[in-house]
Amino acid sequence: MSALAAGSRPARPSRAKRNLALLGAAVVVALCALTVDLDPGEILRLPVGVGLVFYEMFLREGPEWSYFPEALGYMLESLQIAWLGTVLGAIISLPLGFFGAKNVSSGLVSNVMRQVLNAIRAFPEVVLAIAIMIPIAGLGPVAGMLALGLHSVGTLGKLTAEVIEGIDPGPVEAARATGARPLQVQRWGVLPQVLPEIVAFWLYRFEINIRASAILGVVGAGGIGFVLQQAISFNRHERAGMIILVVIGATIVVDTISGWIRRRIIEGAEAKVSGELVEPELADVTA
Amino acid sequence: MTVATAQPGGRPARPRPSLAVPIGLLAFVAVTWASASEQFGIGLEVGDLIADIGRGAEIIADLFNPDWEFLPQTVGPMVETFQMAVLASVLGCAVALLVAFLASRVTAPNAPVFLAARTVLSVVRAIPDILYALVFVAAAGIGPLAGIAALTFFNIGVVAKLLSETVDGVDTGPIEAARAAGGNRLQTVRWSVLPQVLPNYVAYSLYTFELNIRASTVIGIVGAGGIGYLLQTQYRFFAWERVSVIIIELFVFVFLIELLSIWLRRRLV
Amino acid sequence: MIRFENASVTYPGGVHALRDLTLEIPDGQMMVIVGLSGAGKSTLIRAINGLVPLSEGDVTIDGVSVRRANPRQLRQLRSKIGMIFQTFNLVKRTTVLNNVLMGRLHSTGTLRSLLGWYRAEDVEVAMQALERVGIVEKAYVRAANLSGGQQQRVGIARALAQQPKIILADEPVASLDPPTSHVVMRDLQRINRELKITTIVNLHFLDLAKVYGERIIGLRQGELVYDGTAAEADENVFRDIYGRSLTADDLMGEAAAAPATL
Repeated sequence: MSALAAGSRPARPSRAKRNLALLGAAVVVALCALTVDLDPGEILRLPVGVGLVFYEMFLREGPEWSYFPEALGYMLESLQIAWLGTVLGAIISLPLGFFGAKNVSSGLVSNVMRQVLNAIRAFPEVVLAIAIMIPIAGLGPVAGMLALGLHSVGTLGKLTAEVIEGIDPGPVEAARATGARPLQVQRWGVLPQVLPEIVAFWLYRFEINIRASAILGVVGAGGIGFVLQQAISFNRHERAGMIILVVIGATIVVDTISGWIRRRIIEGAEAKVSGELVEPELADVTA
Repeated sequence: MTVATAQPGGRPARPRPSLAVPIGLLAFVAVTWASASEQFGIGLEVGDLIADIGRGAEIIADLFNPDWEFLPQTVGPMVETFQMAVLASVLGCAVALLVAFLASRVTAPNAPVFLAARTVLSVVRAIPDILYALVFVAAAGIGPLAGIAALTFFNIGVVAKLLSETVDGVDTGPIEAARAAGGNRLQTVRWSVLPQVLPNYVAYSLYTFELNIRASTVIGIVGAGGIGYLLQTQYRFFAWERVSVIIIELFVFVFLIELLSIWLRRRLV
Repeated sequence: MIRFENASVTYPGGVHALRDLTLEIPDGQMMVIVGLSGAGKSTLIRAINGLVPLSEGDVTIDGVSVRRANPRQLRQLRSKIGMIFQTFNLVKRTTVLNNVLMGRLHSTGTLRSLLGWYRAEDVEVAMQALERVGIVEKAYVRAANLSGGQQQRVGIARALAQQPKIILADEPVASLDPPTSHVVMRDLQRINRELKITTIVNLHFLDLAKVYGERIIGLRQGELVYDGTAAEADENVFRDIYGRSLTADDLMGEAAAAPATL
C-alpha cells in the first residue's frame, strides 16, 4: 500500500447524539439553578459571612488553645472509630470479595453477592448509624464503629471483587494443575496477585472513614463531630476554630502516613513483578 | 568478549527475611487492641453487643415496612437535595479540573505553583463535608446555599486529588509530540493530556454527584438544606416506617446514578 | 541549513551524550544516523528542535540559534520541524484526524485550539497529509484501533501537517516488522524527494540505513566518527562505528534487500 492512495475522504461522523446529551445536561443544570430556593443577594453576602466566621474563629482572639487537649482527645476517638471500623470492614469484605468475583465463584453466587454488596453500599454510614447501630449499641463510639464497618464492607467488597476479577489466570491455572485444593488455589494463585492492591484499598478506606467518623459524631455516634456542632451552635467560634485546626492537622498527618505506606506497598508489588531476569547476551553464549 | 561460566552447583544462601512484615503486623495488632480497649479506646465489649442485637431486629422489621403515605412530604426536600447535588457537582468539578492540572507534576507550570496547589488541596481535602456545612451555615444561615457551598468545596477536594493522580500517570509521549510540533502549554494540556484523562474525569464527576446525594442526609441535619433535616425529625421520633421511605428514595437515586455512570462510561471508552 | 558548532550535551548524571559536534546539513538532504544505543543519536536529533538543551556550543537553523531562542521563538522554530517517534506518541483515545491536527496547533489561536474549532484551511492541510501517507479513510477512527504501521503513518501525517522544512525521525521503524518498515521508510524517502524536506533519521538496522540514506553519519559515545555516502559505508565502516563485530541484531535481514522500486 503506497502513498497518494485511492482512499477517499470519509464523511464527518454525526455528533448529534452527543450534543443532544450535553444539551440535556445543561438544561437540567440550568433548571436547578433557577428553581433552587435561594436569592442572588445571599450569594453575594456569602463571602462576607464566611470572612466574618473565619475572623471570629482564628483572628479575633485566636483559636481557643486551652481546648487543645480535649479536642485532641475527641479526635483520637474519631481516629479509633475509623480504624476499628476499617479493620472490621476489611476482615469481612475479604472473603465476600472472593465470593463476589465471577472468576472464582459461580456466576449465580457472585451475582447475588455483588447485589448484596451494592445494597449495603447504598446505605450512607449515617443512616446505618442512626437506624441500626445506635439502637443496638446505644449512643457512643461503638455504634459509630459498627456503622463504618458495615458500610465499608459494601465498598471494599465490591473493589476486592473487581480486583480479583482482573487477575492473570495463568498462576491460578498452574496452581490447579498441581492438584491443590480450591482454598489453596485461592491462597497461592490468586491472593499474591491481588493483596497489595487490596491493602491499598483498605488504607484508602481508612482515610475516608476518618472523615466519616467526624460526621457520625454529629448524630451521636462518638468522636469529634459532636463537640464541633456544640461549639458552633453556641457561637463559641474560637473553640470551633481550635477543633477545626485539630481535625485538619490530624487528618493530614494520617493521610500522609497512609499514603506513604500505600505507595510503598504498590511499588513493592511492581518490583517483584518486573523482576530481575538477566538474559545472557547472544554473543556471550556463542562466542 | 566474556563467556559466562556456569557456577559449579553452589546453592544460593537463603535471603534474610524482611523485617517490615512482622513489624507491620505487630503495629497493626497493637493499634487495634488499644483502640478497642477501655483505657485508651472506645471500650468495645463484644459480649454486650451480641446481647443487644435483639433490639436491632425489631427496628429492622419496621424498616422493611415503609409508610408510603409519607411520600409526598418527602418530595420537596428530595428535590432540594437533587438541586444541591447537581449545582455543587458542576461547580466543584469545574474548579477541580483547574486545580488538578496545577497540582500534577506533569502539567504544573512551575514548582511554586505546584507546591501551593498541593498544599491547598491537602487542606481542602482534610475537611469533612459536615465541617464545611457547619461553617457555611454559621456564615450564611440555614438553607440550601450553605449546602451548595459546602458540597462544592468537598467535591473540589475529592475530584482534584483523584484527577491529579490520574494526570500524574498519563503517557508522556503525546506531550512530547505536541511540544515538538510547537504547541504552547495550554494546547498541549488540552490535546495531549485531557483526552487521556477524560473518561476518569467523567467517572469522578458522577461519583461526586452520588456522594452529594448521600451527604445531603447529614448536612441537612445541621441546617444546610436537603433531606437531612426531615430524616432527623423522623428518626428522633423513632418513626422507622417513615425513615425507610426516605432510605428507599435515596437507594433509587443512587441506583439510577450508577446506571447512568455505567452507560456513560461505556460510550466514552 | 542546519549547523552544529562544537555542540556538546552533558546530562546531569555526568553522561557526555554529545561531544564537540560540528556538522552541516544542507537543505533537502536525507541523512541517516547510526550508532549503538546510547551513542548519542536521540540526543543529536532532539538538540535540533531544542527538546534537549545544549551544554556547550550551538546549533543553528538557517542562522537562527536554537540555544538562544526564547520560549516563543523556540515554538516558532519547532513549528517548522516535524518529529516522528519510535513509539508513535499518538493520543490513543482520540481520532486520527485530531492527532494530525496537532500539527496545526502552532498556527491556531489558543481559544480556537482549546475548543477544537480548527479553521477549514487547517483541516484541509491535515486531510492532504493523510492522503499523502495513504490513510485518509481512517480519519475518524480512534488511533488505538490502528496497527503499528498505520499509527506511524499517522505520526508522519502529523509531521507533514506542520508543512515543515525539516523532519526528524527518531528510530521510526524500530517497533515495526520488516515489510512495514520498508513502507514507512519509502514514505519518508518520497517525502524527502518530492517535497524537498530535509530529513534526518535515526536507524539501528544498518542494511536499512544503506538502502535509504543519502548520507550516513556514525556516532560513537557522543562523537562523530563517520560521515560519508551510503555507497562508501561498508562492513568495515560499520564495525568502526560500533566498535565491535556486527551481529544479527544489527541487520534487518534478507527483507532489507527488498526493492524500493517507486
